[in-house]
Amino acid sequence: MSLVIEGLSKQYTKSIQALKHISLTVSDGESIGIVGESGSGKSTLARILLGLEPYKEGSVTYKGKLIVPKNRSSLRAYRKSVQMIFQDSTSTLNPKLPIWKSLLEPLDNYKEFSPSFLEQGLTKLEKAEKLLEIVGLDKEMFSRYPVELSGGQKQRVSIARAISLEPSLLVCDEPTASLDMTIQVQILQLLKELQRKTNMTILFISHDIRAVAYLCERMIVLKEGLMVDEFKMADIYHSDRHPYTKALIKAASID
Amino acid sequence: MVKSSLISIQDLRITSQSAEKVLISNVNLEIGKGEIVGLIGESGSGKSLTARAVMRLLPPDMKVSGKIFYKGTDVLAVNPKEHRHLLGSGIGMIFQDYRGSFTPFIKIGNQMIETIRTHYKMTKNEAKSIALTVLEEMGLESKRVYDSYSFQLSGGQVQRAAIAMSLALKPDLIICDEMTTALDVMSGERVLDYIDQIRNKTGCSVLMITHDLALAYKRTDRMYVMNQGEIVEEGLPEQIRCHHKHPYTKKLCSCLLALPAKKSIQKKRAYSV
Repeated sequence: MSLVIEGLSKQYTKSIQALKHISLTVSDGESIGIVGESGSGKSTLARILLGLEPYKEGSVTYKGKLIVPKNRSSLRAYRKSVQMIFQDSTSTLNPKLPIWKSLLEPLDNYKEFSPSFLEQGLTKLEKAEKLLEIVGLDKEMFSRYPVELSGGQKQRVSIARAISLEPSLLVCDEPTASLDMTIQVQILQLLKELQRKTNMTILFISHDIRAVAYLCERMIVLKEGLMVDEFKMADIYHSDRHPYTKALIKAASID
Repeated sequence: MVKSSLISIQDLRITSQSAEKVLISNVNLEIGKGEIVGLIGESGSGKSLTARAVMRLLPPDMKVSGKIFYKGTDVLAVNPKEHRHLLGSGIGMIFQDYRGSFTPFIKIGNQMIETIRTHYKMTKNEAKSIALTVLEEMGLESKRVYDSYSFQLSGGQVQRAAIAMSLALKPDLIICDEMTTALDVMSGERVLDYIDQIRNKTGCSVLMITHDLALAYKRTDRMYVMNQGEIVEEGLPEQIRCHHKHPYTKKLCSCLLALPAKKSIQKKRAYSV
């Protein structure tokens, strides 16, 4: 069990309770989808997992260690193993930096760490080229600026950046929501392949159950901060599904 | 195939004068009365340009040629005043960016009254009662929405209010440009259900522009597939999905993610048992 969430609640103001008693265990190498409409608390959950958001009730432990946002030194170690990909790849990348500089920012930040896929003694540019290769981008891209890249390419760069630290947990917050259909599938394929290679845990937040069904083995459904359903993909049509899950499935099914 | 044509686009071609580039060409599209037609394609394929050409919302440096017949009149040939008269209430358009549909500093109700009174001669009270009725029809709390500013409502509510506003003018055609893209699945579904409902009730036609093949497949009578400024295939949803001819359509369909099929899961279970 790598990630254990117990009785997690989050209150923003008196009237807004974003999460209500969430309990969830995720094992190593698992891919789990978190589904819910806007305002259901998906992103709050992701922010808490990354140590970006304080919480008062409940506990979140990763590999036996409690995640406490205020403890900076332990957070630094934790963040190396947990990375995130956001929906908006444009604002993830600094528009003033060429791609290779953006790509190497995490590695520069954790100088003491050298990832296994990079041989020793590579120059910075060679490292960036190698990273681009992993996510299926042309090597020549390293000198370009974010404005010169398409949405799908930028999302690939942010994936490359996230996996450069070889995280054991990757949190994806709607990574394909603003992409075209064909590009969306390419990104999902890339994530699936990377997961197979590195055996990292993927937490995939989305409101698109079809994408979740493609990538994940298990799915949880949030509604107004409550976890209303949790099931393995194979049980998607089981009669025990929550009415809300059924409605979501109905909306997403094609036939 | 088309019973009685409402709008017919013939050999539409749009070129950008500054970049000397052909943006869309040979676009032929027809929508019959009461029909719901899907126009699908990826970003940059020219779907929105086609819609904007009908509405004459293109930037001035784009040159349009070809013909767009709306109820027998070529909308590209008439002068701006006649065009407003012809389209203002005849064709309603709903955009993806619902935050841009209403001005943030005027209440929704007042904006609706203004729009209605631009097209029909009537008193404020008459306009108000129309506004309240159409808001009610879209399943909104009419009084509350009427007295709200757009930022006080959720995305789905604003999008429904935008449909209500176009409905108030009794359009024959509603163009929905990526209407549900910015909404989450459930509110998107609800908005689409309301579109179906008003179509049944008023008999208006709908042009549904979307990148979501699954949505078009489920919700339209007929669809067009657009790629790089040209329409590459046209047909019934079933044809497009299962018996497509063009390689691009094939590529699109191969990217259509589906939920695991009910049957295959049951089979797997049977084996494992």
